[in-house]
Amino acid sequence: MKKAYKKGFNLIETYPVKFPETVILVKYDGPVDNFSFSFPDKKVEHIIVNLCPTEPWALPNRVILRNATHDFLDKLEAVRTEYFPDSHCHVVVDHLESNLVNELTQFKTQKDWLSIHTMEAVYPYDAPVLIVKNILGLDIAFGQNTIEDGILILDPQNVTGIFEYYIKETEFNTRLIPISGTGLKDNKILKVKPGTPIKSMLELYVRTDIKYRVFLDGLLNGTEVKDLTQKIDWSTKNIIVIEERDYKTPFPYLNVNELLFTTSLMGELRRCVYCNFCDDICPVNLEPALYWHCYDRGEKHKARTYALEKCIECGLCSFSCPSKLELLQVIRECKSLK
Amino acid sequence: MKKTFKNIETILNKSLNSIETFIQSHPKVNFLFGALFEATDGLIRSTKNTAKNPPFIRSSMDVKQYMGGILAALFFGWVLPAIYFYGFMCVVPKLIVSFVVGVFVVDLIWVILAREERINEGGFVTCLFIPAFLPPQAPLWLIGVGAGISILFRNILGGVGHNLVNPALFGRLMLTICFPTMVVSGWQEPSIGIPTIKSLMYGVDAVTHATPLIAFKETGETASFFSLMFGANTGSLGETCRITLIITGIWLCVKRIANWRIPVAYLGSVFVISIIFSLMVGKTAAPPIFQLLSGGLIFAAFFMATDPITTTYSQAGKWIFGIGCGLITVVIRNFTSIPEGIMYAILLMNLLSVPIQSIIQKIKYRT
Ligand code: SF4
Ligand code: SF4
Repeated sequence: MKKAYKKGFNLIETYPVKFPETVILVKYDGPVDNFSFSFPDKKVEHIIVNLCPTEPWALPNRVILRNATHDFLDKLEAVRTEYFPDSHCHVVVDHLESNLVNELTQFKTQKDWLSIHTMEAVYPYDAPVLIVKNILGLDIAFGQNTIEDGILILDPQNVTGIFEYYIKETEFNTRLIPISGTGLKDNKILKVKPGTPIKSMLELYVRTDIKYRVFLDGLLNGTEVKDLTQKIDWSTKNIIVIEERDYKTPFPYLNVNELLFTTSLMGELRRCVYCNFCDDICPVNLEPALYWHCYDRGEKHKARTYALEKCIECGLCSFSCPSKLELLQVIRECKSLK
Repeated sequence: MKKTFKNIETILNKSLNSIETFIQSHPKVNFLFGALFEATDGLIRSTKNTAKNPPFIRSSMDVKQYMGGILAALFFGWVLPAIYFYGFMCVVPKLIVSFVVGVFVVDLIWVILAREERINEGGFVTCLFIPAFLPPQAPLWLIGVGAGISILFRNILGGVGHNLVNPALFGRLMLTICFPTMVVSGWQEPSIGIPTIKSLMYGVDAVTHATPLIAFKETGETASFFSLMFGANTGSLGETCRITLIITGIWLCVKRIANWRIPVAYLGSVFVISIIFSLMVGKTAAPPIFQLLSGGLIFAAFFMATDPITTTYSQAGKWIFGIGCGLITVVIRNFTSIPEGIMYAILLMNLLSVPIQSIIQKIKYRT
């Protein structure tokens, strides 16, 4: 099949993040949110369960599977039979995890409602647009709810959640949240009751000797947490705390490792030098510098003529630009212009 | 060793910090020297800037490293071989003059006058180009004038990111116009064989000899490919040792600092077009391999034509750019009285890259 994406970037190699084996429960006595899953009112034809995270700070799948892949698949089968009986399930795994692939293929032999797909763990191949294109060959637009096309992308944790809460009707009120980054003493996987403020999750683990900033759901297109009393909810994926490098470092070209994985811009703002890094890395084959040129000339409205709507806002172009241009910001601004 | 270095780093950092506070707390000093300090500081330390918008981490590659890569490639590609062939005393004073005039005089004055906050490291690259495409016996003042014109021209256009044409080549063009005989004479025989201290210092006695391209124009003789490849022939200071230029050029392409499409398109089209011309006009056109290995072609294809901002942004446009350069080069070499056409080819294509870019953009995104 023709690949839906061009390049992408292997973040896991560049920023290796190690998580410990153990999961720590966070105690919190305040009000918590109960689990709820809003079942779609449309008919679901395809369910996609992604067990191949492409970001290093995402929850590793061993924590969900806990060496009991069959258990997980049984739960998935129960959920499907109960709620989405006509649908076909697609489980996506990393092509390097051959054990897991074998286990899944064994399980699959008796089931015709299931198919297994392998994928390279390269960011952002698990973005909805790309994963749907790659598995089903369908084109969906960025930002569109996949339910409109009868596709449900199910978070693996929600599979367990639906099974425990709606089918077994047992208590289910915790969510696994990985926390990582240079602003922490250690990386941890926490078991948190949604409703817990971020502050009380992190207070035991953050480093006190440095300035740090806290981010939700990935560093490339996630959001910054300005107010640490903000609460975790059922859609939070991960939390990253990284050092704020707002001071100068001598000889940065010799100390690259020290600067990596901090908020440092790693250089100064320049003009675009036509280096082609941004269009080489863009997973959907756009030329982001064109948007910047439009923006720079004050012609934001012209950016639309260069296939702007195809951009999946993965942030890789800003990430790789040696002139440190805020390409993602420019793209969002141009998009918001109606 | 590592520890001493760390200590030096800390001391340096502290002293720069105190100078910075001093300058910023005295408005008058700041007015005169603020920009100068920022500029030098920018070469030594990273910036304080942090990512305010997503993505909140950025890759470590920045324009400084980008230019640093080109500098390193140029150093191993032509400075070292040139020292071997023409001697230390021939090469290093030229570099010093070029840097002093280009970066430390013209650029510094520009920083103070125009209150730019940084010295652009692109200037180092330009200054390293100037001696490379002048003859080994070019006088020092010629190099100084060339470097000065180039940097001034580049700064007037607005520095890296605004260049319309390659500033170093523009400087060379001005020299060709103002001192037409100076830039095409003084080709010196390189010293070959086992180097001695004396040859490494001073080169061999200055025997001048026409370059292979001029010789071909006059007598129809071609030099041996082996001697062309390893630099045992006359030519500009930086263009003779093709083998190191090719190796460092390929390294640049692997690092993605130079876009591989341009050298491939340029060299490939020179090869193909000269085959066609050879078939058409026979012996009067230079044979293809000789075309590839003579003159500054290799140097220009890997280092000058790939200067990122002066080509098109579109990757397809880069192919057209390279092929255009190749075509003009071969035509000038074969059908005009000028032996070498690279400078004109690249300058012309630099200008043409603007319409090429917009045409390609129109074709690609028409709805
Ligand atoms: S954010 Fe940049 S790299 Fe990502 S899809 Fe959009 S244009 Fe391409
Ligand atoms: S990565 Fe940045 S500098 Fe390079 S072409 Fe794209 S916008 Fe321009």
